[in-house]
Amino acid sequence: MRFALVIGLLYLFLVGVKALESGINGFGEGFSEGMLESVRNPVAGLFAGILVTVLVQSSSVSTSLVVAAVGNGTLPVTFAVPMIMGANIGTTVTNTLASLGSIRRPQEFRRAFAGATMHDFFNLLAVALLLPIELATGYLTRMAEATARFLTGSTDLSQISNPDSPIKNAVKVPVSAVESIAERLSASQTALAVALLLFGLGLVFLALTQITQNMRLLMAGRIENALNAVLGRGAGIPAIVIGILITVSVQSSSITTSMLVPMVAAGVLTLQNAYPVTLGANVGTTVTALIASVAAERPEALVIALVHLYFNISGILVFYPVPVVREIPIRLAKRLADVATEKRTLVGVYVVAVFVIMPLVGLLVAQ
Amino acid sequence: MVMRFFTGSGDQVRELSDEVQSMLVACRHTFDAAINAVIGGTDPQAVGPEIRKTDRGINRSERRIRRKLLVHASTRGADADISWVMVLMSVTKDIERIGDYAKNIWDLSDYGVDLSGDDDADHLRFHRDEISGLIADTARIFAEQDADRAHEILQGGDDIQDEFDEHVNELVGTDRPASYAVPRALLYRYLKRVVAHLLNVLSSIVMPVDRLDYYDEAKADRD
Repeated sequence: MRFALVIGLLYLFLVGVKALESGINGFGEGFSEGMLESVRNPVAGLFAGILVTVLVQSSSVSTSLVVAAVGNGTLPVTFAVPMIMGANIGTTVTNTLASLGSIRRPQEFRRAFAGATMHDFFNLLAVALLLPIELATGYLTRMAEATARFLTGSTDLSQISNPDSPIKNAVKVPVSAVESIAERLSASQTALAVALLLFGLGLVFLALTQITQNMRLLMAGRIENALNAVLGRGAGIPAIVIGILITVSVQSSSITTSMLVPMVAAGVLTLQNAYPVTLGANVGTTVTALIASVAAERPEALVIALVHLYFNISGILVFYPVPVVREIPIRLAKRLADVATEKRTLVGVYVVAVFVIMPLVGLLVAQ
Repeated sequence: MVMRFFTGSGDQVRELSDEVQSMLVACRHTFDAAINAVIGGTDPQAVGPEIRKTDRGINRSERRIRRKLLVHASTRGADADISWVMVLMSVTKDIERIGDYAKNIWDLSDYGVDLSGDDDADHLRFHRDEISGLIADTARIFAEQDADRAHEILQGGDDIQDEFDEHVNELVGTDRPASYAVPRALLYRYLKRVVAHLLNVLSSIVMPVDRLDYYDEAKADRD
């Protein structure tokens, strides 16, 4: 029963993405140009990605927005890549906030904060390294395009408009209905676009929240089993796979990483064992954008969703296999946690600086 | 490890209850071996390593259950069965203590105490069988959450403890030598503690969480 509900919610999610796509389209060319102008600078795109994700507290929602904007042709893939990377950074704020629960118990807090911020450091380092490489070589986009061409069976993605898929057709029906209702209520094109955008955002939010809640209940036993196995047998590739599986199940990397925080805080899960689960969560969360791309009009939506996936896989390939490199985010997180435990006011400063001031100032300066 | 995601039963509460039952089975094993080294004529050195090994296993089970309870609470959040988590935290501590008392009983034999041929050996063996059976009953009752049977045993549990107290009181005032009184006083005291911890485990089936853990106190001190 609950599974059927989740399938229904996935459908609503796709309807939401489609509505977002139509809403963005409805603003017309002026809006598209303004949006393009604001994220033309990749640094601005990156910070916009962080800021939007922090605001909506969900990289699934922000990446779905990006997929919708790419899917209707408003946002080119190259401009969307830094935004997707920013979403990866922005989403880590949730488990950092979760670690504050133990702020009154110094030893516990030291472990919890380190456990949460190693995810921050991993994502910051991955972006610092991979964004310049992507800008210089475009390797992520090229890999994603090649995969999309393979999956769609086309040699030129720009020529594909919308292969007749039953899912896309099923998703269009309620959006068209909302469009016609909104048209009847208001003649203004902008009002229609706003209505569709709000409807889409609301639906995406609602569907993702409900999917996460229901899947968490459905999968709780399996998640417990898997995490018990991580506690018992330690880290490694299997722990990464478990991180992926849990996150795909609950459709939220924040949920996965926030589950780890109390275990790290209590000292039953070491940072070294939690780290690969966190990396798996990064990969697992990309499934939302991949699902969202199913509803999108253009195949570039699939390309940007695949960029998200390949970016996170690249991060793991760079930072996980070599033990010395693997330890870098963990050591940085431990050092920050030591400082934060001594001066707890710095915790607030860190959260506000990294997740609010840095992206806000960066966005303004870059524009 | 990854297969645990797909193959686990998904019923963690059941799995943890089974693990508690296994702890009690291990406790009975150590108790029987330990007390037989004192009153059953078993060579203490023959059973010592096995008792220590089983006790380490009991300790490991306690830690494993605690970790699993933490995972349960972290994973389920507001949907976690918090009262069950608290019950299991409490009963595993009681069961671990039973393992410790079994070791204390074995220590008596290691000090050279051998009561197997003494006048009161049959009486002591009666208590051995009574408590060994009680451990087995507790394991079954806990697994089945049999509230009626738990009530019955709890009602009679105080009588058993009172009898052990009377023995200790008699031994405190006895004119017999310390080599007679001290081992018996210690043994009766340990037996009383084992029973008290078993009653604590049983009380978790019928008592609210805030009333747990008081069966190791005198009846008058429980309110």
